[in-house]
Amino acid sequence: MQLTLCYFSPVLIMGSVLAASSPNPPPPASGGIGAAPGLTVPPGFGMPSVSPVLPPIGAASGQEQEADSPLPNPGAFDECHRKCKEVFPMQMEGVRLFVNKGLSNHFQVNHTLLLSTTGDSTYRFGATYVGTKQMGPAEFFPVMVGDMDNSGSLNAQIIHQVANRVRSKLAFQTQQNKFVNWQGDAEIKGEDFTATVTLGNPDVLVGSGIVVTHYLQSITPALALGGELVYHRRPGEEGTVVSLVGRYTGSNYIATLTLGSAGAHASYYHKANEQLQLGVEYEASTRMQDTSVSFGYQLDVPKANLLFKGSVDSNWVVGATLEKKLLPLPLSLVLCTFLNHQKNKFQCGFGITIG
Amino acid sequence: MGSVLALSSSPGRQNWPFSTDPPPSHWDRRDGRLPNPGSFHSLHRSCKDVFPQQIEGVKMILNKTLSSFFKVSHTLHLSAVSPSYYRFHVEHLQSDDYSKDKDAPALIGEMDSSGSLNAHALLHLTERVRARTVFQTQQSQFVTWQFETEYRGNDFTAAVTVANPDIIRESVILVAHFLQSVSSGLVVGGELVYHRGRAEEGGILTLAGQYSRPNWVATLNAGKGGAHASYYHRANKQIQVGVEFEASTRTQETTTSFGYQMELPEANMVFRGMINSRCIIGGVLEKRLTPLPATLIMGAFVNHRGDKLQVGLGINVG
Repeated sequence: MQLTLCYFSPVLIMGSVLAASSPNPPPPASGGIGAAPGLTVPPGFGMPSVSPVLPPIGAASGQEQEADSPLPNPGAFDECHRKCKEVFPMQMEGVRLFVNKGLSNHFQVNHTLLLSTTGDSTYRFGATYVGTKQMGPAEFFPVMVGDMDNSGSLNAQIIHQVANRVRSKLAFQTQQNKFVNWQGDAEIKGEDFTATVTLGNPDVLVGSGIVVTHYLQSITPALALGGELVYHRRPGEEGTVVSLVGRYTGSNYIATLTLGSAGAHASYYHKANEQLQLGVEYEASTRMQDTSVSFGYQLDVPKANLLFKGSVDSNWVVGATLEKKLLPLPLSLVLCTFLNHQKNKFQCGFGITIG
Repeated sequence: MGSVLALSSSPGRQNWPFSTDPPPSHWDRRDGRLPNPGSFHSLHRSCKDVFPQQIEGVKMILNKTLSSFFKVSHTLHLSAVSPSYYRFHVEHLQSDDYSKDKDAPALIGEMDSSGSLNAHALLHLTERVRARTVFQTQQSQFVTWQFETEYRGNDFTAAVTVANPDIIRESVILVAHFLQSVSSGLVVGGELVYHRGRAEEGGILTLAGQYSRPNWVATLNAGKGGAHASYYHRANKQIQVGVEFEASTRTQETTTSFGYQMELPEANMVFRGMINSRCIIGGVLEKRLTPLPATLIMGAFVNHRGDKLQVGLGINVG
C-alpha cells in the first residue's frame, strides 16, 4: 500500500514555542453554498422557468438548507496563513544532499548532508514512524518523527489521535544537550470549530511556562473567525497576548487577517490557473516597529517536471527557487538564489533530493 | 616570475569540449620531419584543461555571434565574496578559418563595470612570425602592458616577450622562450627571465621538457624558481586524467593536484573533479540543456583545512 507522508515544518511563533503543523490537514471544504432544491422544467412543457437560486423564504427552508450543507471544519489554527506561505521560495545556501529511504510501509529514514558557505556543515539523521490506527484516507496514527544532528541536537515529535475528535502532540527540541523546547498540545476538532490548547516549556521548578489557546469557528462555509490567547509566565513577570483571526475563502482565493497586540499579519492567496499561484503578504510588528510586504508566485509546469517560485520583498530582497525532477532517476534538483539589494548581499545554493 | 598573464575568459576553455578535432597535432608526423612544438605557454595546457575552474556565485554569460568575424558576449556575475560585476567582451577575428583555435589571430577586448580593461591583440604577421600585445588595467591604472614576438620554425619555436617596460622607473621584464622538437615525441626547451628594477636586477633560467605519446603527455619545468611537473592521460573517449606537481622556492611550498574529466556526450554532460594536497576538493558539472542553446554549470569547492565552501551556478546562453 502506498504510504504518503505529509510534510512537517516547524514554525516558530511568539514566545519561541515550537508548534509543528499537524500532519495532513483535513481537505479544505468545497466552500460552495449548496444549491437549494429548485424546479427543473422539461423543455417544451410551457411553464415559466424558475430561478435555481431561491432566497430563503422562511425558517423552515433555512433550517433545511443548514441541514443539507453543514458548516465545514475550519482546519487548524496554524494553517490559516499556510497556503500563502507555501507559495514563497525557501531560502537555502550551500550544498544540500537529502536522501530519503522508505524501509517499510510504516518506517522511513532520511539523511541530510548540508555543506554551508556561511555556517557549519552538518549531517542530520531523521526517522519517521507511522502507526496503524487509520483516521482518514492517508492519515495514520501515531506518528513519531525524530531527527538528530551531528552535534547532538535532537528534534522529536509524537502525534497521536487520542480520542475520536481529539489529537494530541508532544514536541521536544534540544540544542546539543540542553533542552530548548518541550511542549504538549491537544486539539479538538468539532463539527464546525477547532480548539487547541498548548502548554509550552512548563518548568515547575522555576515556575515559568507558556499556555496558548486557539479557537477557530466557521461562521459561514467561506468565513472562519477565531482567536489566540497566549499567556506567558516567568518568575517576576506574567502577561497575555490576544490576537484575532479571520479567514475568507473564495472560489480561487483565500484572504486571511490576524490582528493582535503583537502586530498584524494579512495574507492573500490566489490561484490564477492550474499552473500559476500568487501570494501577497503583509506583516506588521509592534515589537520590532516595522512592516514588510512580500509578493510571491509559484509556477508549476508538470510537463517539464519543473516548479519555480519567486518572491519580491519590501526589504529589497529578491529570491527565486527552481526545482526540477530529473526523471527517470528518483532525483530532484533544487537551485536557489537570494539577493538583498539593500545590504548588497547575495546567497546561492543548490541541493539534490534522492528518493 | 616570468609567467605571462592569460586572458580571463580564454576562448579555448569555454568551448564545448566535444570538439571533433583530432588530438593535438604535435605528435603527428608530417613527411618524416619533426613537427613544430607549439608555444611555450601551451606545454602544461592539456593537463590544466582537465581541472575544474573555480566557480563562485551566479554567473550568466550571453554569447552573441554577430558575424563569422565578430563575437560579443555579456557576463553578469553576482557574487557573495567579491563585488558583483558586468563585463562586456568583444572578439574580432582576423580571418574566419580558425574559429576554435586558441592562437587564432584576433583582437580581443574586455571591459568591466568598474572600468577595468583587458585587451589582447594576436596577429600573424607572416606565416611564421606572430605578435601578441596585452594590456590590462585595474580601473584606471595600467597593470600589465606586454609585447611578444614569436617565431615558428620547422621544428622549433622561439619567442621574446617584453613585459611592463617602464622608461620612467627604469624597469622591465624580458622573457625569452625556446622550444625544440628533438624527436617525434620529445620536446626540449627553456625559458630565460630577466627582470630589472631601479634597485635590483636578476635572471632566472628554467628548463622544460615534454614527452608525448598518443595517450599521454608528461611535462616538466625545472629551474631556480621552482619546479612544475604535469602528467596528462587519456584513458578512453570519456575519461581524461591529470596529475600536477608544483614547487616554488619563493613561497617554499609544494602542491600536488589530481584532476579528472568525464564526458558523457549522450547525456550532454561534462564533469570535472579535482583533489588537492591543500585539502581542497572541487567538482564542476556542465550540462547542455538541449534543445535550448544554453549550458548550465554547477560547481562547488570545499577547503577542508580552512573549512570553507564555495558554491557557484552559471548559465551560458548562445
